Amino acid sequence: MDSQLVEARALEAEITALRRACVEPPAPGEDTSRVRKSFQEIYQADSEGWELSKDLRSHLGHLESELQFLSTLTGISIRHYSKKTEDLTSTEMTEKSIKKVLQRHRLSGNCHMITFQLEFQLLEIQNEESLSSVITDLSIIMEPTEYSELSEFVSRAEERRDLFMFFRSLHFFVEWCEYRKRTFKRFKEKYPEAVHLSEGASSSCMGIRNPSRPGFELVIVWRIQIDEEGKVLPKLDLLTKVPLQALELDKNGVIETAPLSFRTLLGVLGIEATLESLIKSLHTEASN
Amino acid sequence: MELANTLSQDGESRGGVLAHLERLETQVSRSRKKMEEPQSAPAVESALGTRIHELKRLRDKLRAEVKQRQASVKASTTNVEPDQTLEITEQEILKRKRENVKAILQAYRFTGISGKLTSRGVCVCISTAFEGNLLDSYFVDLVMQKPLQIHHHSIPVFIPLEEISAKYLQTNIQHFLFTLCEYLNAYSGRKYQADRLQSDSEAFLAGPLQRNSLCNLLSFTYKAEPEGQSFPFCARLLYKDLTTTLPTDVTVTYQGTDALSTTREEQRAAHENLFFTKPLHQVFTSFARKGDKLDMSLVS
Repeated sequence: MDSQLVEARALEAEITALRRACVEPPAPGEDTSRVRKSFQEIYQADSEGWELSKDLRSHLGHLESELQFLSTLTGISIRHYSKKTEDLTSTEMTEKSIKKVLQRHRLSGNCHMITFQLEFQLLEIQNEESLSSVITDLSIIMEPTEYSELSEFVSRAEERRDLFMFFRSLHFFVEWCEYRKRTFKRFKEKYPEAVHLSEGASSSCMGIRNPSRPGFELVIVWRIQIDEEGKVLPKLDLLTKVPLQALELDKNGVIETAPLSFRTLLGVLGIEATLESLIKSLHTEASN
Repeated sequence: MELANTLSQDGESRGGVLAHLERLETQVSRSRKKMEEPQSAPAVESALGTRIHELKRLRDKLRAEVKQRQASVKASTTNVEPDQTLEITEQEILKRKRENVKAILQAYRFTGISGKLTSRGVCVCISTAFEGNLLDSYFVDLVMQKPLQIHHHSIPVFIPLEEISAKYLQTNIQHFLFTLCEYLNAYSGRKYQADRLQSDSEAFLAGPLQRNSLCNLLSFTYKAEPEGQSFPFCARLLYKDLTTTLPTDVTVTYQGTDALSTTREEQRAAHENLFFTKPLHQVFTSFARKGDKLDMSLVS
């Protein structure tokens, strides 16, 4: 009878963990409340408390919940990990109580829509005073490869063997991509006639047109760049598509200076307000 | 407070079915001892058995769903063969799974952010590194309440923790953690460069390296050639951006009273450029490597 009760408990813990695995990954930004909620769920499911459970299954369930929690907390999901250790300590070193070990790590997982596969080597040298750990080799494979901004960034991270910068910049890059996608989607929903997303909300371009004034189009190009130090910055540009006749009539060179005024506007109003004001201006102009 | 209340409420409802069954069980075993009537026992057994059966069904259904979702990513879960009902084999499989999950939990430190669950929240550990060298780690102990609170931490006082938490902690915890990561890694990197300069290139320094605790203001007097050059240069490096490991302002001045010769002036300008583009200790390593002559090809 006892074993059945234990089995029932363990099944319940497993079901909770599985239910969590079926939940959609959240958009970055709404995280703190979700993280708090997910933590409360773990606490409630494991009414045994935090002591190490002798029952293997419930312990496993608890560990899996912890893993899921970490994944929600960081936004990074590690699915595979393996490690190989090679002892490079020579007899000379052992005499001086120096230990030298080479670890080969393999890590793969995803950060939202981007999956990564890493292989790196870690050289650990331990002497009497201190332990030094150095990453001596780093190789990164990322998908999807259509984010061309990422390939340059990846080679730089590999060159510098900067593992942490890779994850940090990856996070911020994904955060910006999701923000761009949400913003484009929002404008498309608010102004369905004016806003045109030729490659969908995940692309870097948003077109603004007025159906009653064909031939005119403003194209916002919103790129997300990663600089030398791994800093992720948005870079927005305005392209104008204007019929030749209109260009000839433009005495004040408004169209020519539009990209520059766009940049100034960005600095003053910020991204969303600038885009909205552009959409509105093209809209109202036509209705006059 | 809130957390404890929720737990007791939920504990009751959650333990409800099992607690009820437990009570039934004790009743049954007591009555069995007295009257030795096995009639009610099978009823309770079957009730529990049915519950387990239902749970198993739900569990299997969810398992299938999760597997479908993970179809594109290779999963490391192993299937328990229906034939292998031997407890021993199941134990081994579970043990292997557990070791696997434990390993992945450990591997999180390589992302720069890892954490351990605590009874009130999570203790986040932020790791830092510079040029592949793993450096200090810092921790932030978070309490999962409304509002989220920092219970205690090991972040140095000159890192703007309050500013960062005021901006992001309550609304976007990931942004909070990764921004903190940025600041800490940059600080660690600057500190590493200053430490290396002091330890490796002592011969080049004409005086002590002056530095602040944030390691974003460095001042020192140096000679590009340890022997020979009699007039040292004075360098001042300012890192205005606390998230970078390269300086934003560099001034190299000449100490002597007479005017600088053209070659010396070129050298001075070249050095300024070097400090802007290369990590501090590497600049001095390049001085040592070139020996007497400063190779102008370094400036590119």
